[in-house]
Amino acid sequence: MQRLSGLAYPLAAVVGAVVLWYAIVIVFHVPKYILPLPGAVYQRIVEDWTFLMYHSGITLYETLGGFALSVILGIPIAIALVASRTLDRALMPWLILSQTFPKVALAPLIVVWFGLGLMPKLLITFLVAFFPIVISTVVGLRSAEREMLELAESMRATRLQMFWHFRIPLALPNIFAGLKVSVAFAVVGAVIAEWVGASAGLGYLLMRANANLDTTLLFAVLAALMVIGVVLYYAVEILERVSIPWHAVIRLADTATTA
Amino acid sequence: MAAAAISLKGASKTFGSDRNRVDALVDIDLDVGQAEFLAVVGASGCGKSTLLRLVAGLLAPTRGEVLIGGRRIDGPDPGIGIVFQTPVLLPWRTVRRNVELQLDIRGISTPSARQHVDELLNLVGLSGFGDRKPYELSGGMQQRVSICRALIHDPSLLLMDEPFGALDALTREQMNLELQRIWMETRKTVLFITHSITEAVMLGDRVVVITPRPGRIMEIVPVRLPRPRDFSALRVPEFHIACDRVRELMNAAGFTE
Ligand SMILES: Nc1ncnc2c1ncn2[C@@H]1O[C@H](COP(=O)(O)OP(=O)(O)O)[C@@H](O)[C@H]1O
Ligand SMILES: [Mg+2]
Repeated sequence: MQRLSGLAYPLAAVVGAVVLWYAIVIVFHVPKYILPLPGAVYQRIVEDWTFLMYHSGITLYETLGGFALSVILGIPIAIALVASRTLDRALMPWLILSQTFPKVALAPLIVVWFGLGLMPKLLITFLVAFFPIVISTVVGLRSAEREMLELAESMRATRLQMFWHFRIPLALPNIFAGLKVSVAFAVVGAVIAEWVGASAGLGYLLMRANANLDTTLLFAVLAALMVIGVVLYYAVEILERVSIPWHAVIRLADTATTA
Repeated sequence: MAAAAISLKGASKTFGSDRNRVDALVDIDLDVGQAEFLAVVGASGCGKSTLLRLVAGLLAPTRGEVLIGGRRIDGPDPGIGIVFQTPVLLPWRTVRRNVELQLDIRGISTPSARQHVDELLNLVGLSGFGDRKPYELSGGMQQRVSICRALIHDPSLLLMDEPFGALDALTREQMNLELQRIWMETRKTVLFITHSITEAVMLGDRVVVITPRPGRIMEIVPVRLPRPRDFSALRVPEFHIACDRVRELMNAAGFTE
């Protein structure tokens, strides 16, 4: 019952937005190449379903690949940074600096170096998506309370045990927060990668639709991107609930006692 | 003469340097006997936790030395178990698995050791709670789990840093009695830190009073009361004499409760 009413608000917002959309197009006589009617977009999605699915599949593949790369490299990088003060001092400033740099600007260079295959797309997606994982994992690994670490030390835990039994599991809530940001970034990364050089994928379709002033297709692609983003986000959230159920329970208990 | 269970010789601990220098403890000389229950009281910030961390080998003294069973330590001795003010349980492990953590980390998790977990949970009144998660338990019960965890590897020293400080008064009194019972059954040497005078006198064979800034041992007050002590036995004058003495010392050191 609670879930249902929770869903009612966003649904009402969507209905409101679509009504507004119709109203604007009809009242102001907006031409189709500027803003097509929602119905037309819907019709286009239905007509071009297999075509859209094909390109969505490619973008999804690149997104997941780049995201996987971000997880596989990002978490160990964060562990290394926390484990070694030297590494932290040597690399952290550069990592942070690298984030002030627009990664999109690197995309053409990566295409020059690695060509037009899958590899450069994974690389660009990785560049866009890995940082939130590194930062939130570092924060999580450092968040263990002093007593917890002293307890481990009093048990004469090795450094490996310290990470495996204490620091990493305690960091999981932060890691998942980072994964949620990262997976959304990964979609953006894949689209950027396709803009720079691709012959398929939703990013490529966006460019093509734009060149042809095919605004209806543009909207159809945006819808597909939105679906991919939402589905991936909730997939991570479900994974979070399954792997750290204790976190949700503690959060609930905390809000219950503070309420 | 057998070596003291814990021995501090001229131990000092200074944090920071120059203007930020804090002399947390200065020239601590202290011997704790085998199977003794030693209570330590003092105002907050006077160096009680620092003392416990020195004995635990979690901090190295700036000067002087710390010996456990006659051997100088430079790191946590294998024979210690620690209880902090908060239970610090791992939320993803059940009660039983939290107790077993001590065995897992030390690499001594044998079937017979694991069987011992149930006996210990029994001893602290938690039989039947082994498969619960920590967040399903009250604060007092969680602290009992952490006591089990500190005992499961059969250490000779039990180090407790204000273990009942976060509990309500009633639970706290109950835990005091239980701790005394556990101590009498297991005969560990206990270093028990508290800022409650009643608790210190109720439990301790001796009560060490520490003065703040810098932390020094002001006096050690012996408590000659028969065991097991309970709250009715505390109506005897000896109890109040000891309490008054400790309070007097703490007031002299500028402590207001
Ligand atoms: N790691 C530390 N760094 C700097 N100062 C510290 C540190 N730990 C404790 N102190 C200082 O040492 C003094 C004693 O602290 P502590 O042993 O925690 O006192 P207590 O447990 O009696 O409250 C306090 O003034 C505290 O600020
Ligand atoms: Mg303290």
